Amino acid sequence: MIGSLLAQVTSLKDAGSAAGQTQDSLVIGEQFYFFTVVLMWLIHAGFMSYETGVARKKNALMTAMKNILTIAVVTPTFYYFGWWIYNCNQPGLPIGPNSSDFTGAACQGGIPWSDTFGPNLTNNINLVFFLAFLLFSWTTASILSGAMIERARLTAYLILACILGSVVWILDAAWGWSAGGWMTLRFGFHDSIASSVVHGVAGAFTLGVLFNLGPRIGKYTKEGLARQFKPHNLHMTLLGLMLIFTGFYAFYGACLVIVSTSFPGWATIYLSPTTLGTIAMVITMGFAGGFTGGYFGSRGDPFWTVSGGLAGVISVSAGADVYAPTLAYLIAMVSAFIVPTIGDFIEKKMRVDDVVGAVAVHGSMGFLALFWVGIFAAGYPTGVNNVDSSIWGQLLGVATFLPLGFLSGWVASFILKKLNLLRVPPEVELMGLDVAEYEPLIYLPEVAHAPEMVVEPDGTIVPAEPVLRMEEASIIANGNGRGPRTDREVVG
Amino acid sequence: MPLIINSAPDCIVHHEGASTKDLADFVLTNNYKDCAGFGTFMPGSTYGPDGTGAESLYMILTWVGIAVMVFVLVYWVIYENRRLIAAVAGYSPATPQEPPPQPGMSGETGVLR
Repeated sequence: MIGSLLAQVTSLKDAGSAAGQTQDSLVIGEQFYFFTVVLMWLIHAGFMSYETGVARKKNALMTAMKNILTIAVVTPTFYYFGWWIYNCNQPGLPIGPNSSDFTGAACQGGIPWSDTFGPNLTNNINLVFFLAFLLFSWTTASILSGAMIERARLTAYLILACILGSVVWILDAAWGWSAGGWMTLRFGFHDSIASSVVHGVAGAFTLGVLFNLGPRIGKYTKEGLARQFKPHNLHMTLLGLMLIFTGFYAFYGACLVIVSTSFPGWATIYLSPTTLGTIAMVITMGFAGGFTGGYFGSRGDPFWTVSGGLAGVISVSAGADVYAPTLAYLIAMVSAFIVPTIGDFIEKKMRVDDVVGAVAVHGSMGFLALFWVGIFAAGYPTGVNNVDSSIWGQLLGVATFLPLGFLSGWVASFILKKLNLLRVPPEVELMGLDVAEYEPLIYLPEVAHAPEMVVEPDGTIVPAEPVLRMEEASIIANGNGRGPRTDREVVG
Repeated sequence: MPLIINSAPDCIVHHEGASTKDLADFVLTNNYKDCAGFGTFMPGSTYGPDGTGAESLYMILTWVGIAVMVFVLVYWVIYENRRLIAAVAGYSPATPQEPPPQPGMSGETGVLR
């Protein structure tokens, strides 16, 4: 009898202790995500600094404003429908066995008028988890923003940022980067720290947009050779990249699920076990290999050396939960080594004016990372159905995400182009976006009209004004040779 | 003091004052012990399993937010277009400027008549 009572008391104690531990775990999880959100702001300070430094002086402030205003539009759109897309569309296409329906309980947290999507005393996690995803959304938009600078309308960018940040990437995340996503449940798709889910898709979307946006005036000679515009502050660009790198540690951390009541306490988004140290080691070795590969791949070019660090990390992110540090180092080095070549190909062969190399760094590395997992991390059970990761699952990811990103970007920007809402008028582009928007308020005249230099395809550095004036004459009269000058009709 | 406006959900219990009995590990919980979603205009309780239970006021508030967001985006496009038109209207291609007079240059400047 006494033994039975003691057993009951012990059982009650255990139960109380378990409940307490669960509460503690939730509060710890809430704190963890909160601080990742805070630190991930550095990514956006970094993108702003990075892109502003690359821009010519006459466009610097507008470039920075664009990054800041990303937050103004992606936040509400992601709140009102982005989180719903993530929570309510994970089953995706109804194909194959083992389909599951998450539209019941999980969906509730994503409905904007849900009781868990505001102040709620019984749910610590939904809001702060949403915020971590929101910061990922800003990141996707920021990947797009740098490629478009110096000739896109602010509002065109903001609309595209909403589509990418609040619809496209979060749809692919629902399918391939969630515990209930159909690609993982049925095909073992494995992209643990969002190589393709964030970077690859954003890069593909950006490429689709750039096809419609066209290059900056004067970027290419009549023979199709590429000129280089001089960044107005390369130091600022490098600082921006360092800020992005710092924020990336928080990005990595926020990609994990923390459950402190069970060992090892950490899981990937697919609920497979990992540790914080594992992914932190992979990102660090990814930077080391990436800088090295970028340096040698570009023969010491500062821009591509530092971008190589980013490329290296993106290339190892998909398998960061299982890669050995040495493997991460080697994969990142090889990947970053080829990034400058890819960047050159996009710029000089495809004649796509991607100002910051976003398509090469984010797009190509995001999808390359999937292949690396198919080769070096095949056979790991992934997701709640324990389907092994494989090259086939990864190829499915490429076949799904590449057209999703590219076509959505191309179609959206095509519509904006047809509405004459994609590019600023050539006059504004030539005088500088800052001059048109801010000069009377911000700049001293001599700053806005500071001499601008351009690097001709043969490497000679010449004053930009005669080159641009020559382009101006032909563009304003006849269109720019790459299609009719539609924006003229709006402003004429 | 009687409330003139009460926009808090019904789950909140209004006590005249707090007491030490309310304290649960330094959090005053008594007034909120029946609450889950307790934000302004929120239902106060959790949803049912089928997602029902949203307060109509909270739903209206959310849709007002969505409408404002859409309006702002559309207006932003129109506003920027107007600014660009104004900028282009004031644009004049720069004419080549002669270099300023310098010592040793020929010309009428400084020539004694």
